[in-house]
Amino acid sequence: MIAKSIIRFLIGILFFTGMQSLIAQDKKESYRIETIPMPEGLTSETGAVEFFPDGRLVACFTRGEVMTYEPSTKKWKLFAEGLHDPLGILVVSNSELLIIQRPELTRVKDTDGDGTADLYEKVTDDFGISGNYHEFNYGPVKDNNDNLFIALNSSSGAGNIRPIVRGEINPLGREQGSKGQMFSNVPYRGWVMKLSHDGVLKPFASGFRSPNGIGFDLDGNLFATDNQGDWIGTSALHHVQEGKFYGHPGSLVWQNGWNKGNPFLLPLLVLDSMRTRGAVLFPHGIMANSPTQPLCDRTQGKFGPFSGQLLVGEMNKERIVRVMLEKVGGELQGACLPFFEGNGLRKGNNRLVFAPDGSLWIGQNSHGWLGDQGIQRIAFTGKQPADIYSMNLTEKGFDLTFTQPLDVSTATDIVNYKFRHYYYQYHSKYGSDQMDVQNVPVTQVEISNDRKKISLTLSSLKAGYVYELNLGTIKTSNGDDLANKIICYTLNKLKTGTF
Amino acid sequence: MRTLKKSIVFFLFFLSIKQILAGETIDSVKTVKIDVQVGLQFDLVRFHVKPGEKVKLIFSNSDDMSHNLLITKPESRLEIVNEALQLGEKGPSMDYIPKSASVLWSIPVVNPNQTQTLNFIAPQQPGVYPYVCTLPGHGFIMFGAMYVNPDGKIPELKNDLNIPESRRLDNNPALSIQHNEHKVNEANKTTTVKPLHPYKLVSPYLYRVFIEGASPAAIAVSLPGNLSYCWDASACKLRFAWSGGFLDNSELWKGKGDVLAKVVGALFFRDKTEFPLSIGNHDGIQVVDYKGYSLINRYPEFHYTLNGIDVYELIMPNNDGTGLIRKFRIPDGTKTVWFNTNATDGVSYISSVGKWKNGKLKLISKQALDFSITMSRKEGGLL
Repeated sequence: MIAKSIIRFLIGILFFTGMQSLIAQDKKESYRIETIPMPEGLTSETGAVEFFPDGRLVACFTRGEVMTYEPSTKKWKLFAEGLHDPLGILVVSNSELLIIQRPELTRVKDTDGDGTADLYEKVTDDFGISGNYHEFNYGPVKDNNDNLFIALNSSSGAGNIRPIVRGEINPLGREQGSKGQMFSNVPYRGWVMKLSHDGVLKPFASGFRSPNGIGFDLDGNLFATDNQGDWIGTSALHHVQEGKFYGHPGSLVWQNGWNKGNPFLLPLLVLDSMRTRGAVLFPHGIMANSPTQPLCDRTQGKFGPFSGQLLVGEMNKERIVRVMLEKVGGELQGACLPFFEGNGLRKGNNRLVFAPDGSLWIGQNSHGWLGDQGIQRIAFTGKQPADIYSMNLTEKGFDLTFTQPLDVSTATDIVNYKFRHYYYQYHSKYGSDQMDVQNVPVTQVEISNDRKKISLTLSSLKAGYVYELNLGTIKTSNGDDLANKIICYTLNKLKTGTF
Repeated sequence: MRTLKKSIVFFLFFLSIKQILAGETIDSVKTVKIDVQVGLQFDLVRFHVKPGEKVKLIFSNSDDMSHNLLITKPESRLEIVNEALQLGEKGPSMDYIPKSASVLWSIPVVNPNQTQTLNFIAPQQPGVYPYVCTLPGHGFIMFGAMYVNPDGKIPELKNDLNIPESRRLDNNPALSIQHNEHKVNEANKTTTVKPLHPYKLVSPYLYRVFIEGASPAAIAVSLPGNLSYCWDASACKLRFAWSGGFLDNSELWKGKGDVLAKVVGALFFRDKTEFPLSIGNHDGIQVVDYKGYSLINRYPEFHYTLNGIDVYELIMPNNDGTGLIRKFRIPDGTKTVWFNTNATDGVSYISSVGKWKNGKLKLISKQALDFSITMSRKEGGLL
């Protein structure tokens, strides 16, 4: 009798806990974050994270260590050491890496199979280094034809050049008088470089201030981020194309046949007419203050519904930004929104990589600026997020496509869509205020039959502006709130000239 | 004449009164200079003023990013930092200065290489008044403390909870770094400092590093027996060697890296040749190209080309620990090779093969396939 009631009681408990876990399952987040334990004694300012074909993580750190991590055993192991501020890894095989460090791009290889590297072979060092502390190097990334691309940071006006430099010195690559602006006194600082099969490193695109992040999308377009500062009104994602100039003047002195003297002294209008604007601007203080690596979601759904879009790390906030692009008037432009925010994510999100299982690994760094240390991992739980999937320019406004069907009454309420536009000034000054900030009324809201697409008509559209949209309380048809309420579209080109 | 005298007397009287007043009511202005140093830090983390004292605060920004400076009421720093964060997009236009009664004085955003001055009268109420940069995120680590009291009392630096934790050690033992878990003897107290790496450093090991006396593409190598050398991957040669320690990288690793690694120990060799090797017609132009290094029992063997000819160099401690052995390989084997020295470079030389003449070693092509040069410190020859 007693036994029976105990059994009943136990069954009751089991049923109850079962229900509870079902409920928990239902309420779970779309993405879950975890922190990777780091080896004791490591100052884990992470310069790069990648994966070997065999599934091990490989990471490099500011003090020159290159270490591997086996996720199944959680064991760290030293692979290489002694590198100078390594900030990028390209995996060649389970025993071979290409690593960019301050002086060069280096092949780091374990040739005798003992698990640690014994060959440190120069791949290219055909660029200048002046010893200026800001001459960080980024990449390499590989295109579909096996060409490699690296990015070279400009030198900092807060520092100087050393008595012995590598490379020819061109004093014209620095502003005269004050010493505030970033500069390029030795070859190709501020350039994205291309290394072809012939081993020759060639200048590819110029005008970068601090391109701490370079990567390809699914279509083979090359992107680099740049950081707000002198000549950079707000941080940007650039679509990097051969021969183009992206705004910071110093690098121009290394352009083939340059004969216009000190580029800092050129009239602003001349520089402005030469430059290619950012495909996507990250409004300062709103979206990102120091964006890092653009990583294309190649997981084909393993990481959720945003396959093909770009994720971009952010140093200054506990945030990963998501970027969606479209071609308008022959050029890429698009929108950005906070993809993952807080929830245990740290600052200093410097490098991103997808693991073979489709989870996103994030290496964190600060390097004397704002940031953090360590490595974290974000995994898709399988629960569809309720978020904006894409934002596309139309002739009369924007189409918003959502990941889930929306609740019609909130989604069609015009007060839930608040636009404003502004632009950033191109000038030598550090950063730019938002200029000509104006609210742009929405005049019409339409919802598609599948309730996933909202078409907005705006009272006006102007090229050269960021369109910032703040969403009100819009619910999905399941009654869920949206994951985030702000999205910024960089309108470089109008769809047609109808306005 | 008389009136002049009178007015002079009066004037003197006036002056002395003024001086007396000055002595009693603090008429002088206290000048405080604050700059920015690496790692989001004010270079001055605390200062003292008397209640009611006139203060001139000069804030210069030699950093490469913008900063502001707010002085808040006691214990209000975090509140203000969080309010500044809440400004969000309005932050830039408001110089990240929240509207709050807890902000006593503020210097708006100062861009790199600019200076701004703030004049104010110190509060009458003694206390610890924080100053802080409220640009997004900075305020959690970038702050200092203004001590207002009549007698100049300030806690010991290491016990000062009003300044960032990282600044409470004025004599950071981690600064005199040589090897892993290096022990520092300080006033008979032995402290173990944080390890530099997640492994024990065993010589030989190396760092690619910024170091004085070499190009920015330098390689510093620590050898057994407290010997070290710097090999320059741009010039493709041994630049200098020292004994007694290795490197102090602490400043280099602390922030943005705008410093050089420090040599620990005493230099005993510095290369003074145009280039240590000449191959074939050695009067022509020497073109070098660095290729990399292999680790052989953890010793790097450097590889470069000299006028297109492959050269390998591996450096070890010499047998009695007084210098280095440089092992060269030049597999080409068809040309005469000279090894050049300079009498004032601090060492004496012995070679495994070849003939010395006027400080130059001549090696016939076969000898150059594989040869070694032993460099021993000259007596009293420290550089």
